[in-house]
Amino acid sequence: MEVMGASMRDVVLKVKNLKKDYQMGEVTVNALKDASFEVEKGEFVVILGPSGSGKSTLLNIIGGMDTPSGGSVLFNDEMVTNFTDKELTMYRRYKIGFVFQFYNLMATLTAKENVELVAEITGSSADIDEVMEAVGLGDRADHFPSQMSGGEQQRVAIARAVAKNPDILLCDEPTGALDFETGISILKVLKDVNIKYKNTVIVITHNSPIAQMADKVIKMRSGGITEIIENKNPIGPERIVW
Amino acid sequence: MKKLDKRLFRMIKNTKGQYIAVLSIIITGIFIFTAVKNSAMNLRDTLNDYYESTNFADIFVTAAALPERLERQLTGEENIKEVDLRLSFDTRLITDNDNERITVRAVSVDKNENKINKLYIKKGRRVLSEKEAIIIDQFAVARKINVGDEIKLNIKGKEHKFKVSAIASSPEYVYMMESEQVLLPDPNSFGIVFIEESYLRKISGSGYFNEAVLTVKNYEQIDKTKDYLEDNLNKYGVIRVLNRDEQLSNSMLNEEINGLDKVSRSIPAVFLLFAGIMLATMLSRIVKKDRTTIGVLKAVGFMDGEIITHYLKYAASVGIIGGILGSIIGTAASGAMTSMYLEFFNIPMLTVKIYYNRIIIAVLLSLVFCIGSGFWGIKSILKINPAESMMPESPKRGKRIFLERFKLFWNRLSFSWRMVYRNIFREKKKFIVIAAAVSITTGMMIMTMWMNDIMDVMFVKHYSEFMKIEYNISFDGFQDKRVLNEIKENISYNNMEGRIEFPFEIENGKYSKTVNIIGLEDKTVFYDFYDSEGNKLIVKKEGILISSNLARALNADIGDRILLKSFLPDGDEKYITVTGILKQSLGINGYMNVDYLSKEFLDKGIINGVYINSDDDIKVKLDNIKNISSIQSQKDMQSVFEEFTGLIAVFMGVMIIFSGMLGFVILYSMTLMSINERTLEFSSMRVMGLTKKEIFKIIMKENTVMSVLGIIAGIPLGKWLIDYLGIMFSTDIYTLQGNVTSKEIITAIILTVIFIISAQLMTYAKIHKLDFMQALKNRIS
Repeated sequence: MEVMGASMRDVVLKVKNLKKDYQMGEVTVNALKDASFEVEKGEFVVILGPSGSGKSTLLNIIGGMDTPSGGSVLFNDEMVTNFTDKELTMYRRYKIGFVFQFYNLMATLTAKENVELVAEITGSSADIDEVMEAVGLGDRADHFPSQMSGGEQQRVAIARAVAKNPDILLCDEPTGALDFETGISILKVLKDVNIKYKNTVIVITHNSPIAQMADKVIKMRSGGITEIIENKNPIGPERIVW
Repeated sequence: MKKLDKRLFRMIKNTKGQYIAVLSIIITGIFIFTAVKNSAMNLRDTLNDYYESTNFADIFVTAAALPERLERQLTGEENIKEVDLRLSFDTRLITDNDNERITVRAVSVDKNENKINKLYIKKGRRVLSEKEAIIIDQFAVARKINVGDEIKLNIKGKEHKFKVSAIASSPEYVYMMESEQVLLPDPNSFGIVFIEESYLRKISGSGYFNEAVLTVKNYEQIDKTKDYLEDNLNKYGVIRVLNRDEQLSNSMLNEEINGLDKVSRSIPAVFLLFAGIMLATMLSRIVKKDRTTIGVLKAVGFMDGEIITHYLKYAASVGIIGGILGSIIGTAASGAMTSMYLEFFNIPMLTVKIYYNRIIIAVLLSLVFCIGSGFWGIKSILKINPAESMMPESPKRGKRIFLERFKLFWNRLSFSWRMVYRNIFREKKKFIVIAAAVSITTGMMIMTMWMNDIMDVMFVKHYSEFMKIEYNISFDGFQDKRVLNEIKENISYNNMEGRIEFPFEIENGKYSKTVNIIGLEDKTVFYDFYDSEGNKLIVKKEGILISSNLARALNADIGDRILLKSFLPDGDEKYITVTGILKQSLGINGYMNVDYLSKEFLDKGIINGVYINSDDDIKVKLDNIKNISSIQSQKDMQSVFEEFTGLIAVFMGVMIIFSGMLGFVILYSMTLMSINERTLEFSSMRVMGLTKKEIFKIIMKENTVMSVLGIIAGIPLGKWLIDYLGIMFSTDIYTLQGNVTSKEIITAIILTVIFIISAQLMTYAKIHKLDFMQALKNRIS
């Protein structure tokens, strides 16, 4: 039954006993300890934990930006943790979309150009104007990041990640630098994208109310996973309050 | 257009001040390279075309008497293609001004066209009749002689009138000098007059010729042909056999072209080196600033190679734009520069080509150089880890600087000065680049000041300290010493000495050189010889003193026995001991006792010239004395040199601008870079209440310390450049040597400081415009 259940589910990401140790002078820091979980296609996952709990490290390893000290990450049955540098780059290019806390847009490119930059390298056929509309920036496409608010910049970052139609959207504290209302609007965009483009979305945050909108919540503390909760009744972001 | 390329354009726009700065250095380097190199090539091509079209001789023979039949006999022998015999002697142009003595060289030419050394007619007609003459162009211009005018020559004591039928140039007198000893052409007092051969022979009463010009089938085998001629013409009193490379005008031109070649390699190299350092520094700082952006690019799937290419395009754009603009401006300037040279040297043809391959080489050189230095600057991209780059960089560990160890010094410094020193020592790369640029500027300024003075010193020293000869009189061939009595009767004088000046081939083992040996009276008052250490040298009764450049050419030292070969018929070969090596800035010579020289190699008691120091107007008073071929005065030489100083002034101006520009641009752009990077630091200072002026003062103090160190380092660098220049540019004609004076150093420093202050003022304008508060607000994004 268990085997059948697993095969029926469409698992896109399988994390097994993942470990990451850092050497800081003479001290070894265990940033990640035996983390294991699975993510299904189209799921909206929230990884919740206080700062220093290892969630960013986990996200970086899943996204192919960092390598683990032990354990494995399987993406669609491909062992990401065995990838070469070039394979990791291709993995990031075609399979993963990143949204960062501080947006990290190219200051000298307009909003639309920031999105096109990524579409260009992946050869994505996505309609950039449509993506800009989807994130609510149809009329701000020609503005430079410095002419936009934080919320607008984060929308551009989401559009940039979505435009290449990635399998997984990884969002590192996407509302961390934003006020409540803007934060909620960003979460809405992420949820809309999740529904519209059927991407798997993984959001890491220290902000526990956000967990209410997730299909799955992975709680972390001190580098380890403390709890994995399947949320049968996720609520819409507009109902979240913090 | 790709989005990353769009970003590149905007990056260039945002850093336009620095971009233009580094571009201007590349353009200057490539401009000098192309302009000078092309001028050298144009000059060489023009000269070769000119030589080819005039059938310039390969060998020049001077002898006592060459019979007419030799022309037929020699043709076809030992690699010889054509032979032309001619008569050539120096004589006087008679003018209305009794106070001037103008020497002209009368050279016989064919009635219609010479086989060899054809004349290039500029005005008039080539066909010559009796009592007609063709005048060399430079001389005609200087003396305002036109076709149809009449000139009078004193030939063998008799006045002969000639109608000028043409004004022409000759490949043999492109650089028209009377002899090696003259050093600079003076077309006002020395010229060439071409007279129809049979007529010249008739009026000069010469049954024989005294010169032969020859062409050869294969120039590679010229030495064999020369040996053949030396052996076979010995009986006709061969004085010297020169190949084309040794011919005076041609060798002077070649020296000039070789000098240009050297300049085209050395000066651009300095500019490219600094452009490379600046570009590497600029890009490494841009990459440092873009650390997170690069991390993001990696995170979204850009490969290292793609990111590196993106930044290298910045360097490549500098290389391509700099290369193309530099070579276009350089090519255009080389046309003007070649024309100026041709005007100076009097080459009637002008072959200005566009050397497309040279442009391609210049662009490639600039491109490869920029990409290479660009890569050096951005290689840290490879090390950027996308995950780490998202986090703020950990601050550098603060540590005490070297100067803090000197407690006595450090404790006396004010807080602001301590900050200045800390900043300098923490940005070591910037410190090194600025100090190096300032030191190169100072060094080049010192070199320029020295060169300006050294030309003056060379001439003044040579003609007033080394030689103390007011009049140097040359005879037609050798005379008995008793001729001095006749001269003594005609003038009052302070000093008078007979002298010999005669070419010898000198050998020392495998080294050989043909130079004029000067025979001087015992205890001569006309020369003061010193060795390189300042010890006085005298011409001993036996042995030979040689100039240091001759010692180098022969690889000879004091005590060595060198072989002297006279060019006279059945001339002796003898080993003579080198008794001293003397400092001589102009010319290459050996000096012997006149009696010893005449006894050993010539005939006893003969001379071929006289040195005179006199207040009399020698030129007028000796006008009627036979056998005098030329009178050269110190004043003539000085006036020629004064004309030459005009050219030096242009060169100096260009050098000052180029070297100043280097210091200015580097100081300006490096300071700009530093200001951009430290905007946050300066913003915090503004918040603390410092004024823009006070912030500028901090930057100025930093730059002043670095500049002062640069200037101090520039002084030995300047001295080294001078030594290098002395080795690179010394030729047989002149030896660049002389100590740099404190006046030159001070002038150089003042000029450097002017450029530094200008750069500082420019940066003040930039600081004034900076919005420090905005920088604080933008901290996050």
